[in-house]
Amino acid sequence: MSSAEQLVEGLKLLVDEGKVKTDRDSLVTFGKDWTKIYEPTPLAIVFPKSTAQVQAIVKFANENRIGLVPSGGRTGLSAGAVATNGEIVVAFDSMNQILELNENDRTVKCQAGVITQQLQDYAEDNGLYYPVDFASAGSSQLGGNLSTNAGGIKVIRYGMSRDWVAGLTVVTGKGDVIELNKDLAKNNTGYDLRHLFIGAEGTLGFITEATMKLTRKPSDLTVLVLGLPDISNTMDVLQAFQQKIDLTAYEFFSHQAMQHVLRHSDISAPFESEAPYYALLEFEAVSDQVMDDAMAIFESCVEKGWVVDGVISQSETQANNLWRLREGISESISVHTPYKNDISVVVSKVPAFLNEINEVVTNHYPDFEIIWFGHIGDGNLHLNILKPADLPKEAFFAKCQQVNKWVFDIVEKYRGSISAEHGVGLVKKDYLEYTRSAVEIEYLRGIKRVFDPNNIMNPGKVIDL
Amino acid sequence: MKVLVAVKRVIDYNVKVRVKPDNTGVDLTNVKMAMNPFCEIAVEEAVRLKEKGVATEIVVVSIGPKAAQEQIRTALALGADRGIHVETDEEIQSLAAAKLLKAVVDKEQPSLVILGKQSIDNDNNQTGQMLAALAGYPQGTFASEVSVDGDKVKVTREIDGGLMTVSLNLPAIVTTDLRLNEPRYASLPNIMKAKKKPLESTTPADLGVDVTPRLTTLKVEAPAQRQAGIKVADVAELVDKLKNEAKVI
Ligand SMILES: Cc1cc2nc3c(=O)[nH]c(=O)nc-3n(C[C@H](O)[C@H](O)[C@H](O)COP(=O)(O)OP(=O)(O)OC[C@H]3O[C@@H](n4cnc5c(N)ncnc54)[C@H](O)[C@@H]3O)c2cc1C
Repeated sequence: MSSAEQLVEGLKLLVDEGKVKTDRDSLVTFGKDWTKIYEPTPLAIVFPKSTAQVQAIVKFANENRIGLVPSGGRTGLSAGAVATNGEIVVAFDSMNQILELNENDRTVKCQAGVITQQLQDYAEDNGLYYPVDFASAGSSQLGGNLSTNAGGIKVIRYGMSRDWVAGLTVVTGKGDVIELNKDLAKNNTGYDLRHLFIGAEGTLGFITEATMKLTRKPSDLTVLVLGLPDISNTMDVLQAFQQKIDLTAYEFFSHQAMQHVLRHSDISAPFESEAPYYALLEFEAVSDQVMDDAMAIFESCVEKGWVVDGVISQSETQANNLWRLREGISESISVHTPYKNDISVVVSKVPAFLNEINEVVTNHYPDFEIIWFGHIGDGNLHLNILKPADLPKEAFFAKCQQVNKWVFDIVEKYRGSISAEHGVGLVKKDYLEYTRSAVEIEYLRGIKRVFDPNNIMNPGKVIDL
Repeated sequence: MKVLVAVKRVIDYNVKVRVKPDNTGVDLTNVKMAMNPFCEIAVEEAVRLKEKGVATEIVVVSIGPKAAQEQIRTALALGADRGIHVETDEEIQSLAAAKLLKAVVDKEQPSLVILGKQSIDNDNNQTGQMLAALAGYPQGTFASEVSVDGDKVKVTREIDGGLMTVSLNLPAIVTTDLRLNEPRYASLPNIMKAKKKPLESTTPADLGVDVTPRLTTLKVEAPAQRQAGIKVADVAELVDKLKNEAKVI
């Protein structure tokens, strides 16, 4: 037997029958995430069903010095869950049980492979709410959400995935099983290792179980879409509303972005007037007072010239359709092979930051179509540049490398982040120093060595050792 | 030409409906309510007729509790000119609704009455037809196209296997089907203007209509739970199951 075959045979002894796959389809499917840039070449895919099986796999990998790539719902946008180097992919699809609801603590314990939407639905069925939400929630897994510290559309009110974790069970790269924080609300007993694993993109170990906090379900969520004459108005409008109303979402998108959604789907424009930018606001319209406040704020925004037109949802169906204007963007532009960047600055600097990037890109590449949208209430922008139809892919990506440099220079200048919520993976690894100093990165390496001395956990992702 | 549009406040289309534990009906506590989708289409059609210069006034009427005024305000924001609220907390069945609307029709004398073909709460599909009978007006139901020409209205109806076009003398009743139009959103400036539009309140008693229910609901049950799907190993197993278990091929 070749050593590859031996490894696969050894792996089979650790999990249930049929839970190791090496057929071509499985290797390609489970060997990559949403990024389509890298060629997946995993050795095998393994589907553990318990923490004990994950631990056995980690020990096996340490003995055989073979890399492991954790794989969740594979919706990641940074190639964190891509196996390009003959690694074993550890997929969590068979660890999708919701283990225990604790109504008094308002927590729910889940295996890492629980789908985000499964958790949301489960919470709602029990009169509660899991607020972390984004367009990929129907496929992404809790383990993937936590490992990327996913954000999404409700961050302005509810924070990131990190904020909803009461406790974690992890298997470290060394093969130890540890329980982090024991689901406590208060536990000031030194370093909180929980937060090292959140956002680690699988480089320190596996998250196998998580106890997630739940909250009250918001009521009467109402959506406004406003047309804005200038990007700087996004900040004016945000401030005006936030003085009186707790927003549950504040998103923006450009007119071009919306055009793609309208062309791609059966939904219609919110109103006839055109505006270069649109803001989508959501809040709980629990009383007439809130609605009256919203109306009054809208009126004063119009008077000040910050808003040209606007609509408000009159039903959940309308609220959903207005949300589709925003949530449908990624999908509607994907046919144009977009170059994507997910960047952030502090909220107040957004307009200047966006204008500067616009200017640099349009000056150098006037034929590039730039699509802007994002969680602007958090200072988080999604920059998308579409490939001109007549430009070959390679030439386009080559030019995008140049764009990267300009964009990240501007990010650095504004003290922003080169990856707001999508992680680093392989895609952003080479640019990490635009946001993290060399000294800081050396500390990251130190942490990695502690948890994963043999570098078997997602090797080559985020940082090199 | 005056157009009367009837709108109903119902459970929001997106809400997961729960049956009350005692099986007497659907649980409405803290449930999001909205305008019946077919009524939205009715309002939109009236507004389009007005934009075309065909309709000169749109009167919107809703029967229901105090809160039904929200739906009237929505219709006013969408372009209706004034509202009539027939306020009642009673359960209003189709016949009672038709009688109340008949009383409003007598008062308002519209040339055209547009209603949804049904409301999504009870799916009765009766009110428009009953109103036509009570008022002695011709009816064009399940409309997917409406065009007014002089003293006639042409209504294209969606029927099994095709379309039927009928021509009705005005005044007439039209009930809307899903494909008639795509309703617009209420714009914020119009919502603010709508606050100043007149909304008149009346009651079944004022209109001289007895709304006592004629039907008794015996039991309301949730639909049977769907069985979970299964995974098959390969195409052969799939074909086998389709042939021998589902018996569809
Ligand atoms: C249409 C679309 C919209 C999106 N919108 C948003 C958004 O608004 N906000 C946002 O934050 N993200 C968004 N994303 C990105 C993506 O959905 C999130 O990053 C998501 O959290 C990834 O989860 P996943 O289960 O698919 O992870 P994967 O892609 O499978 O993996 C992500 C990373 O986590 C690691 N990992 C997975 N499971 C485990 C585990 N159990 N233990 C340890 N490591 C693990 C992987 O190795 C990888 O590094 C979007 C993606 C798409 C396709």
